[in-house]
Amino acid sequence: MQELLRTMKNIELFRGLNDSQLERIAAISRREDYNEGDVILKQDAEGDTMYIIAQGQVEISVQVKGTSRLAIYLGEGQVFGEVALLDYGHRSATVTADEDNTVVYSVARDSFENLCMSDHLLGYLVMRNLALDLSFKLRHRNTDLADEV
Amino acid sequence: MIYKVSYVVLGGQHPGGIRNQSEAPKVGDKVRLGRKYFEIVEVNELLPPRDDFQFLHATLRPRTKETEDK
Repeated sequence: MQELLRTMKNIELFRGLNDSQLERIAAISRREDYNEGDVILKQDAEGDTMYIIAQGQVEISVQVKGTSRLAIYLGEGQVFGEVALLDYGHRSATVTADEDNTVVYSVARDSFENLCMSDHLLGYLVMRNLALDLSFKLRHRNTDLADEV
Repeated sequence: MIYKVSYVVLGGQHPGGIRNQSEAPKVGDKVRLGRKYFEIVEVNELLPPRDDFQFLHATLRPRTKETEDK
């Protein structure tokens, strides 16, 4: 638990939360360990969990017309799986561990929503930070596209 | 300070990556994304800092045999 709490303080998703709120999120988080090449989640699958990378790196790839296209690499402190968690849709990409000893923490939608409803400030802060994270990813993508031109 | 860095590769042939790190990226640093190694050629502020977080954009170029030898 202490290791997770230390990690959480370095993750933007939890920026602004106090120790008590971090502990409540830690209590609904589950550690998962992966090695290079392990598939963490698959595109088009049902998804109700988001993941936070505590250690290592993952590769995000998207199937386009039958061809797998690399979308981005995400490293420590990044979040993935949040799209399906938020919009209840299918997984929009496949996520594969890119390094041995990749450690992620998963948070299930039901537990997360219950926590947000029971502590509205926590819910606001995490949702705000999720929006900022999605905005950062969009800026990264836009810069990447601009560089192609 | 935590540095949230958007790594973009010159030429647009590689999607780059995003990661948090405890040390600021510097020009000349080596970065691994997947099985490829890159070198930072430029670092800029992407967004104003918030609390303990700085938001940076780093431009990468692939490391060549020539740069590997340096």
